[in-house]
This record gives sequence, structure tokens and C-alpha cells, in this order.
Amino acid sequence: MAVTIDNTPDTIAPAASGWRKIAVRSIAWLQAGPMTLVFALFFLLPLVLVVIVSIWDYNEYEMIPAFSFRGYTDTFEGCVANLPELCTILKTYLKTLKLCLLTWGLTLMIGFWVAYFLAFHVRSKTWQIVLSLLCTIPFWTSNVIRMIAWIPLLGRNGLVNQGLVGAGFINKPVEWLLFSEFSVVLALVHLFTFFMVVPIFNSMIRIDKRLIEAAYDAGASGWQTLVNIIIPLAKPGIVIGSIFVITIVMGDFVTIGVMGGQQIASAGKIIEARLSALQFPAAAANAVILLGITIVIISALTRIVDVRKEL
Amino acid sequence: MTDRSKTPSISRRSLLKGAAGVAGLAGSGTLLSAPYVHAADPKVLRYLGTAVNEGDEISKKCLADTGIKIEYITATTDDVTKRVITQPNSFDVLDTEYFSLKKLVPSGNIFPLDARKIKEFDNITPVFTKGELPNGKKIGGQGTAPWKVLYLEGANSKTFSATPTEYVTLIPTVYNADTLGIRPDLIKRPISSWAELLNPEFKGKASILNIPSIGIMDAALVVEATGQYKYADKGNMTKAEIDLTMKVLTEAKKAGQFRAFWKDFNESVNLMASGETVIQSMWSPAVTKVRSMGIPCVFQPLKEGYRSWASGFCVSKAVGGSPKLDWAYEFVNWYLSGWAGAYLNRQGYYSAVLSTAKANMTEDEWGYWMEGKPAKNDIKAPDGTLMEKAGAVRDGGSYDDRMGGVVCWNAVMDENDYMVRKWNEFIAA
Amino acid sequence: MGDKRPRSFYILALFFTAYVLFLYGPMIAIYILSFQGPDGGLTFPMNGVSLTWFGKVFSGGGIVDIGAAFKRSLALGLVVMVITVVLSVAAGMAFRKPFRGASFVFYTAIASLIMPSIITSLGIALEFRLIDDFINKHAADYGLGWLAEGHTTAMGLFTSGLGAHLTWTLPFGLLIMFAIFNRFDGRLEEAARDLGATPWQTFRHVVLPIILPSVVGIGLFGFTLSWDELARSSQAIGSVNTLPLELQGLTTTVTKPDIYALGTLTSAVSFIVIFAALSVILVLQARQRRQGSDAGKGLV
Repeated sequence: MAVTIDNTPDTIAPAASGWRKIAVRSIAWLQAGPMTLVFALFFLLPLVLVVIVSIWDYNEYEMIPAFSFRGYTDTFEGCVANLPELCTILKTYLKTLKLCLLTWGLTLMIGFWVAYFLAFHVRSKTWQIVLSLLCTIPFWTSNVIRMIAWIPLLGRNGLVNQGLVGAGFINKPVEWLLFSEFSVVLALVHLFTFFMVVPIFNSMIRIDKRLIEAAYDAGASGWQTLVNIIIPLAKPGIVIGSIFVITIVMGDFVTIGVMGGQQIASAGKIIEARLSALQFPAAAANAVILLGITIVIISALTRIVDVRKEL
Repeated sequence: MTDRSKTPSISRRSLLKGAAGVAGLAGSGTLLSAPYVHAADPKVLRYLGTAVNEGDEISKKCLADTGIKIEYITATTDDVTKRVITQPNSFDVLDTEYFSLKKLVPSGNIFPLDARKIKEFDNITPVFTKGELPNGKKIGGQGTAPWKVLYLEGANSKTFSATPTEYVTLIPTVYNADTLGIRPDLIKRPISSWAELLNPEFKGKASILNIPSIGIMDAALVVEATGQYKYADKGNMTKAEIDLTMKVLTEAKKAGQFRAFWKDFNESVNLMASGETVIQSMWSPAVTKVRSMGIPCVFQPLKEGYRSWASGFCVSKAVGGSPKLDWAYEFVNWYLSGWAGAYLNRQGYYSAVLSTAKANMTEDEWGYWMEGKPAKNDIKAPDGTLMEKAGAVRDGGSYDDRMGGVVCWNAVMDENDYMVRKWNEFIAA
Repeated sequence: MGDKRPRSFYILALFFTAYVLFLYGPMIAIYILSFQGPDGGLTFPMNGVSLTWFGKVFSGGGIVDIGAAFKRSLALGLVVMVITVVLSVAAGMAFRKPFRGASFVFYTAIASLIMPSIITSLGIALEFRLIDDFINKHAADYGLGWLAEGHTTAMGLFTSGLGAHLTWTLPFGLLIMFAIFNRFDGRLEEAARDLGATPWQTFRHVVLPIILPSVVGIGLFGFTLSWDELARSSQAIGSVNTLPLELQGLTTTVTKPDIYALGTLTSAVSFIVIFAALSVILVLQARQRRQGSDAGKGLV
């Protein structure tokens, strides 16, 4: 097809574009290749090993390299037999989803407005960077240290309780500030709001300011501009931020563990308990289940908004 | 990173350089670094364990005495055991507890040591070898008591031997008897039974250890103390017994008995010192730490007895057959030769070879820590800080009183898998 | 935007300030408590005021060599940062064109985010165990005997550790690139091509200047994620720990306010580093203005 008898531009064009397409594709592969290689070496291969381990058998003391679905079946123990009462795994996932939704809603609300402020109200780029960095500095003190500091802050005799009692708002210290679902969500929001801010901010600064001015000129209210222009155009950022927050919270066990006083169930904590007891096959099976469930959530999310469409 | 173990100072320096020329280092420097042999290198042992037993003074003294450089790899209790399975090549000497052995030995990553090469082996306290005090009194053996997992049947065996052999899994170094720690200023009445842990009076102010196999034993002690049930072996329950104990725990949790479960030493100290909890299972040095901040805290002896734990040194399978094995023996022998034992005793732990430790302590120190006598002078910690004033008597009394009161040992149960499943159910309840 | 600040500016500025205060909440407790007296603990009340704990940080010693761990984490963080930026920008460019396997790479990145860190860590550890076993058994067969001799483990800070961190930072880098390239005006590149620019020139002089501030952001994000990483490293770091692992290890024994002092110092140093980074960006921007590139003007 490429080499035809006569050299009219009409026949050359598709040939050239054909080559061009191949060139573009191979460039794309060269560009995506290094990252794919890193994932292949340090995520996909280990993932394969984890999946293999998840279908191994195990006894009280060791793994046995023989095929068994025990890791999976044990996880769903009692899910049918105990009906209508919920089984452990369902209860755990419901709790995890609840924490996840609360965290997602709060980080989205806070993250959106913080990003909005940074993108539209802070006028100079330099100030945008300075303020973003201001939000990053606390994360450079290890989370191990920051976690310890929640007790002197929120504890029974912590700063907040002392302040509230001192100001006369309450008579005696409140207990639910720490080691409760409240403190878990508070810590998660504290940790992950910035994960929401970054992508939303980046998609907001892509919005052409002239578009917003045009809307104002056409008589749109601030609210109408927000709903009809800014939110739709910032959607990919919102979805990407949501992916960050949802994926991390679904697998979290450290924050939920420490802030929940180790008494709040989460999908990650089940895995951790299994791992600590060196029951690797069961832990691996639970991880595969978690991966499957979360992938479904995320692909539903990206079906609503395709973050790769308008690149 | 082939040379990491032998040339720590060099790799550390190359890392420093790395801060400047990072990208290059990642690519070539470490992967293709010079092979292993450096004749003038010091003898280095990579020591994996929790920070509790890793004293800076110990490694310094060891280097001075034997020329062996100890490189600590510090990790949490959970991570230590996991690392033995996942990366047995990343350490030489392992500091772990006896109850982990039931899981670590079958993994094949532990090298059995030759008892004949341990100089003080015959002087190790009979608590470990026979399950009795030096004065001959038998002590409680429920759970994974050390003497049940101390010996292997053969050099390559993964089976524990009930009778003494020359193949030793883990050389004991340090142990203690745990009980409840309390805040007498906030409780304001005497505490004498494990039953108090789940007493609704302390609702929202109690805590246990967040290790399922240990937490459930604390609960079992409560169950026995309240007369609900008598276990054949609290450290090795049947499924029905696990169900019963978990039910008790679940009811307590639902009623809001527990403030939090603690995961590490530091957490147990902070919970107690800040008043978040007033009664919780605790380690003796943690109680001492709370007290050193000027906060009243008592390591409360209870009539039902103590739950004990013991740890010591294993050697990685990867060390077998290399010169490191000799250094490991040298290190273990040094450790048992007295200086380290005295160091541990002064922190409130107990050392494995009592005779050598005694020779390294003053009579007053020995009297206070080991014999339950009132201190004649101020009692100081190894770092020189004041721990107790003259005249003080140790909580729980003498070594014989405390270790003699042991009823069970930290354990891994035969029904461990079932127990962990039930623990997850308990957390979700 | 008009010249006068709208009312919403003040409301949102207040909101932003509240958020920053919330972020610094625990930090303020840390800053104060790092000045604890020599007998003080990790919780209130203050037991005197002193600089003891800062001295402890600098004098080193203790069970863990915090200084050395700090440098290790810094080195690792910087390597992770550079790799994350380069690979994310490259992959971000790739995703602007259709290519076979794009979905696969995308969902791999997502899966890498989802997989609980401890499991990824475990998988990497298993992988390296296989590698170690292979080297020990077979290296001699291939004339690589020196490799096997005295070989302990291939695991380490810049092998398995680096890999583990990248599985964490790269998905963030890639997805943030999606937000950056979202509705990116392709006509600018077309124009450059029409003027005879090579693809590299187009990237270097047209695309990069526009996305540079955001790319710097990815670098910082990547560094921060690596710097604070804990669970993913736990089984994949070999025999030398990162700073967070050392700190976590320390909590298994008596922990003193020197870790708070470390936090205070980190913040202080951060302000300095940020000031330096800021200067670099300002210089870059000034140069961009001098060169008279109008590529990004419509967008910034």
C-alpha cells in the first residue's frame, strides 16, 4: 500500500500518517516503558508471588507449598451460616467503607476549597508554591513521631480537653476525642487532605481564566460559575484525588490502629493480624480480596469520569 | 549490596556521598560494589531485634572486650519475626522470644547452636532448662515455656526435643514476669487480682497488649480469677476455650472497658503516664519509666501469679559454616559472662546466668534487684539516673518470689490460626 | 479577576488558615515538648525547659544512629524524587497518545496504590529471597563466583528499598501528571512542530516551561512520600533501616523527647531548604521571562 505507482500527494498522505502512527506509538512505549519496567520488577512480580502464596496451604506453624483455597474460604467463614447476622469480613468491610466514605467526603470538601483558594485567589505563582510548601512541612517530621503527639493533644488530659474545660464549655474531659472513630477520621483527614489538594489544584490552574470572566460578563453568579464551569473542569483532579484517598484508606491499618486504640476493625488490620501471626497465605488471600474490591470501586469511579480522556 | 554486612562504615560514607550524587549511586555504586573480602575488617555481626534489649553501652563494651562490632537492626516485635521469614539473609544474630520459635524453627531459617560451645551453658538458670528455681521449686509451665522449645532433636531437625540434646535453638539472655501495672493515685484502693482488669469500675481506663496470643492469655487469667473456668493450659487452648475467652473479651470491649490496646513499650508508658489508662498489663521497666517522671505507678503482684516471657539469641541459618558463626559464639559467650547480665538486671529484667551477673553487681544492687531487700543506697539506672531512693523495696519482692509466682508463659497455640480468626472477629464486634 | 479582593477571598483565606493550623496541631505539641527538661517525658506537663534533647540529637549515640539514618533516608528520598519526576513526566507524555497497553499500565499503577503496603513489602522480600537463593546456588556456574562468595543478600536501600518506594511514589506521580496534562493545549506543540522544532525541542522549550512548577511539585510530593514511608520498607529494606523504621524501632523501648527535637529540627531545616528551592524557582522564572517565551502566558 505504501509504495504506489504514482506519487500523488493523496496516496502519500495515508502512508506517511501510517508510519507516523507507528512512530508515535513506539515513542509512547519508550516513554511509558521505564515506569512499566519498575512496576514489573517491584510490583507485578511480587504480586504474582503474593497470589501464589495466597493459594498455598498452611498449618499452625508454617506455610505448605500445596494448593489450597483455605486462605480465601476461611476469610468468608460464617457469611452464609450465620445469616442474618453479618460475618466478620462483611462487618470489617462495612466499617472500612464507612471510615473511607467519611474521610473521602471531608478531604474532598476541605481539599476542594483549599485548592480553590490556592488556584484562584492566590495570584502569584511564588505565593502558591510557598503556601503549598507550608502545607508540606509537617509531613517531613516522621509520622511515627506525629502519631505520638496526638495523645498530648487529644487525650483525656490533653491540650484540647484542658482548653475546653478551662473555657467552661465542658465540665469534665470528653473521652471520644481519642481512640474513637472520631479520632481515626480526624487523623486520616489530617494526613490525606493534601493528597486531594494537589491534583485538584493542578486541574484548576488549567482552567482558562478568560472562561470564568466570560461567565461573569454573561451575568452568571458566583455559584453558577462554580457549578457549571469550575467543578466540571476540575472533575479529573477531583477524581484523581479521590482515587488517592480511597485507595490509601481502604488499605490503611497504621492510622486506624493507633488512633482507634487497636479496637476498630479495618480490612488492612485483618491482613496485619494475619501477617503478624506469620500466616502469610491467609494474609495474601485477604490482600487479593482487598485489591479486587478496591479495583472495582476505582474502575466505577473512572467510568464516571475518565481521567485519561482529555490528556 | 553484597558488602553491606562487612563494610558498614564504607557503605555509610558512600551513602553520604549519595546525598550529593544520588542518581549515579543508585545505578551503579551499590549493585556492583567490590566483592566481599577485606582482610582488615573488624568482626561485624548484624543483630536484629527490638530496641528493648539493644543497649548502646552493650555494643560498646562488647567491641572493647571482644573486638566484635555489633550493628543493631532495630524493628518492632512483629517486624522482627516477619523479617526472619522474609529476609533471613539480612541479619546474623537474632534477638527473639521463645514463643516465636514455634513459628521460626519450622521455617528452617534458624541455625541450631552447639551447647558444648557455650561456656556458661551449664550455669544457665534452671528456670530455662528444667522449669524450676535455683532452689528447686517447680514453676508454672503453661504456654510456650522455654524448656519445651530449647532443644532440637538433631543438627538439621525442625522438631523440638523434650529431653536435653546438644542442639540448642535459642540461648536465653533476658526474661521477666509480667503483671498488671496500676496508678495507685487514681485507683485509690488495693488491687490483688487479675479480675480487676475487666472490673467495670475501670471502664474506659484499662488496656492489654495488642498481640492476640498474649492478650488472650491476660483475658484467660481474668476468667480464672473470677472463677468462671479453669484452663488445662492457658497458653494452648482448645477451640471451645478460645471461644469462651473471646466472648469475655468481646463483652468487655462492647461495654467500653478498654481505652486502647498498646503495641509497644513507649505506648504503654504514654498511656499510663498521661492517665489514659489506670490499669493495664505492663512490663517492669515501663513501670519504672513512668515512676521516673514523678508519676505514681506500681507493678502490682497479683495472687493468681505472673505471665512470664523470655528472650535470647538465635543465629541465622545463613551464618552456619561461615566465620561469622565463631564470632556469634564468641558474642554469646561474652554476653553470658556477666557484664551484660548485670546491665540487664539493673534495668529490672533478669539475666540468664545469675552467678556471673552477681559478680558484676554491688551487694546492695543485688540485694535490691534480686533478693527483695530494701536498698541501702540510691538505686541508679545503667545510665546513672536515679531510679529508686535508698530504703525502697522492689515491687513483687525477690527473684524467687517473682519467678516462683509464674503460672504461664507467652505462647503460640496449636489453634493459633483459629485464635487469630477469632481475634479479628473480636475486633470487628 | 477584578482588582479588588472579593469577599470570598477573605472567607477562603480564613478557611485556609484554619486548615494550616489543623495541619500544624500535633506539630505545635511537638515543637513545645522538644524543649522538655532533662527529666521530662513525651507528654505534658513540661518538666522544666532545656535544650538537652537537641544536644542528644547532635551527639548521636543511643541505640540507633539517628544521624546516619537521617542521611540514608535523605539520600533515598532524593533518588526516589529524581526517578519519580523523570519517569512520571515521561509516562505522562506517553498517555497523551493512544498506545496499546495503556489501560494495563494505568490499572497497574492503581493496583500498586491499593495493595496494602505490608503485602507489597512481603512480595518484594519473597522476590529477593528467590534472587539470593539463585545467586548462592548458581552464580558460580556462570563464572560469577565472586558474586556468590560471601554473598549475603541483594536486598538493600538502593535495590529492594528503592523499588519498594517507587511502587508507592510512581502512581502518585503518574496520576498527578494526568491532572497536569488535562486539557493541555496541544496547539502549542503543533505550532512548534510547524516551525520545525524536533520533538525534544518542543518538549524542552514549549511543554516543560509550562508544566515545570507542577513537576517541581511532583518531585516534592515524591520526596515527601518516600521520606515518610514506613510499612512498605519494613520487609524490603535489608539490614539497614530508613529513618522512620529506626524511629518506630525505638518506640519498642524507653522513648525520649529527642525524637521531638528531631521533628523540630526537621521543620527548621525544611524552612531553609524550601527557601533555597524557592530561590531556584524564582531564578528559573526570571530566566523564562528574559527569554521572552510567551508559551505559557495564556495559562498562568
